[in-house]
Amino acid sequence: MKFSLFVTAALLALSLCPAQMLAPKKLLEPPTDTWPTYNGDYSGRRFSTLAEIDSHNVGRLALAWFYRISNVGPQRGVGTPTIKSTPLMVDGVLYFTIPDHVYAVDARTGEEIWHYDWVDKGGHLIGNRGVGMYGNWLYFMGPDGWFISLNAKDGTERWRKKVADEKLQYFTTMAPMVVKNHIIVGVGGDAMDVPGFLEARDPETGDLQWRWNTEPKVGEPGADTWPDKGAMEHGGGMTWMPGTYDPELNLLYWGTGNPNPVYAGQGRKGSNLWTCSIVALNPDTGKLVWYFQASPHDTHDWDNVETPVLFDAQVDGRPRKLLAQAARNGYFFVLDRTDGKDIVSKPYVALNWSRGVDAKGQPIPDDAKEPKVDGALLTIPGGGGTNWMPPSFDPQTGLFYVQAVRGYSVTYLYDTDPKPEGYGGGARGLWSEHVLEALDYKTGDVAWSHPYTTGGAAGTGPGILTTAGKLLFSGDYSGNFVAYDPATGKILWHFPMRQSLSNGPETYMLDGKQYVVAGAGDTLFVFTLL
Amino acid sequence: MAAATIAAAQQPTTRTEDPRARGGRGSTRDFLGLGPAPDAAAAARGAKLYAPNCAFCHGEKATGGEGPDLVRSALVLHDEKGELIGPVVHNGRPEQGMPPFASLTKDQLYDLTEFLHERVELAANRGLYKALNVVTGDPKAGKAYFDAHCASCHSVDGDLAHIGSKMQPADLQQAFLYPGARGYNPGSPKITSVTVTLPSGQTLTGVVKHLDDFNVSFTDASGEYHSIALDPGVKVALEDKLEGHRRLLDQYTDAEIHNITAYLTTLK
Repeated sequence: MKFSLFVTAALLALSLCPAQMLAPKKLLEPPTDTWPTYNGDYSGRRFSTLAEIDSHNVGRLALAWFYRISNVGPQRGVGTPTIKSTPLMVDGVLYFTIPDHVYAVDARTGEEIWHYDWVDKGGHLIGNRGVGMYGNWLYFMGPDGWFISLNAKDGTERWRKKVADEKLQYFTTMAPMVVKNHIIVGVGGDAMDVPGFLEARDPETGDLQWRWNTEPKVGEPGADTWPDKGAMEHGGGMTWMPGTYDPELNLLYWGTGNPNPVYAGQGRKGSNLWTCSIVALNPDTGKLVWYFQASPHDTHDWDNVETPVLFDAQVDGRPRKLLAQAARNGYFFVLDRTDGKDIVSKPYVALNWSRGVDAKGQPIPDDAKEPKVDGALLTIPGGGGTNWMPPSFDPQTGLFYVQAVRGYSVTYLYDTDPKPEGYGGGARGLWSEHVLEALDYKTGDVAWSHPYTTGGAAGTGPGILTTAGKLLFSGDYSGNFVAYDPATGKILWHFPMRQSLSNGPETYMLDGKQYVVAGAGDTLFVFTLL
Repeated sequence: MAAATIAAAQQPTTRTEDPRARGGRGSTRDFLGLGPAPDAAAAARGAKLYAPNCAFCHGEKATGGEGPDLVRSALVLHDEKGELIGPVVHNGRPEQGMPPFASLTKDQLYDLTEFLHERVELAANRGLYKALNVVTGDPKAGKAYFDAHCASCHSVDGDLAHIGSKMQPADLQQAFLYPGARGYNPGSPKITSVTVTLPSGQTLTGVVKHLDDFNVSFTDASGEYHSIALDPGVKVALEDKLEGHRRLLDQYTDAEIHNITAYLTTLK
């Protein structure tokens, strides 16, 4: 009986997914023996149900191996390679990236299995968030607008498709996201006032399935939030971070970037839909279902691409399907993800660019704090309250965790032309400090916060992972990988990596042991219990 | 650090073109992948050709008028040294109302092309951006503010003598708001002195090298290096010479800032 059950199960597995390394349905499960997608699962919570490593034994967490990128020199315009990708772990292999490079490394030993080297013809090498995986195939973005599929077994290229023109200053950094038989790819680019878009592509051929444009066309809904066709066609709104997905509602959630020209808003009066928004799209058609605009008429370069995190929880005694985001503009938003209705809109850092929120919960920008020729003082850093680094939601504490920045900046308008082009302005930094914040999803109140003692280089930011073992993993800005008690912020363990955490940490089971992985600069560190 | 200073929108920081901060990692134009830099001499000659021949349709700044915007033009952005632009100017696009400019020589077409590339450069390369006039305030009001809030630590005849001739106004404005921020050093660079009190009550003082939640390292007056684990009972005190500057950041109005800048720039 036992035998026949085993055989049946084995045959079933074979017939369902012949020789598939990662069946797409695996993406619907909480990740335990894999880390199959950028955020681990579709929710973007970066909460793992694993608890072998817990708050009692974390003191025994020790380095299993590390892998240092040694076959790539300084990269154009950015210097030493920096791992911003979250590796996928499938069948004992870690797949991770830096701009122009994909690596497959043995998750048991750190031995390099293969390395794929893309020769770019432009684009920004600011970062690469990783690969997407569908069956035996990997999907990777070259920085110069190329969407590339590789064979996961040996890293050979299957095909390449051009999705954006680097000569127009588009660049591509995101980890392609697999939703059913759609590979979702977004783009970056803000130097030359190009329009943003999001595409779904076929996993086998790479051909276009649908394209959603960040800006409407003349006559379409939302067009009245732009002064004219020209402004709309050059309006920005990039889609450079992976989104999240609710399989039950069949809705894809995506954050959109800032409008263009970035700092000079005089040529694009209006709220500039659908830039700086959270949008819900039908993943099969690319049609917009609802939107919430986090920064109407942004003039501060505050892309609203930070992960829209999905979870179900009680609000006023009722179970709700929620979406939470700690936005770069300094606001924490909690929305009903079925319809986009606002539940919480509250600053998680000090800010003075907004005069409060409107009836829909959307912040109202203060004209007096738009960039000025002689400078406008902001009580928030020029880079905003956070950035792309992955946040986490822990259902055990009910807290949302974000790596925040408090500080001040002066913003300037450099281009006073009625039709400005390019950035058209800039921000200068003043005092600032990094702080790890835990936010109550019901109120947006700060439950606890941990300011970092010293700043260090702020070029990259650490992501966050929470686990059922009552642990929160993240990094400080001084080269330490740190485990905190997610309920209180108490430090429980640390490891001096000597380079600051530059990606989102992850965890999985392999050969019956739980591992935790951290990327710091050019090195991947892998930990397990001694 | 270089990534921090030349970063695009995907970085939590601000931009400057401070060569020291670049750390030898290349310029903003390398980072942006803008290709070969425009030929400035040719562009200057091209500007003189552009004004009478092209500006009436394409606008004074080439950002469009009756004719299309040339700065955002895909053809211009794809052109490297005139191979795409040259034929279009030479032959015109009669079907779209653009006349041919057949009399322009090959050299002139090159100059015109470089002028357009320079227009693109000025829009796209944010490393080259310059602040406009930040001296808009009332120097008298600025002096009054200075006397009331700053004069207890600073003197216009002492540490700030001739400051208006030593710094560009936008740098000066940033520097008085928070010194050391020029070039962006988020670690509060002027906080250098640390005093560590051990559980025994013994105190050690020095110039801090590294401080995090777990360890402090510093060099004392005799040049000796110390590294101390921050175990329970160990206390660390940093001297923050800039606390006054930080406190004022919560108090200034923008008008007060502009007045102070206007006053400081008079200190030639």
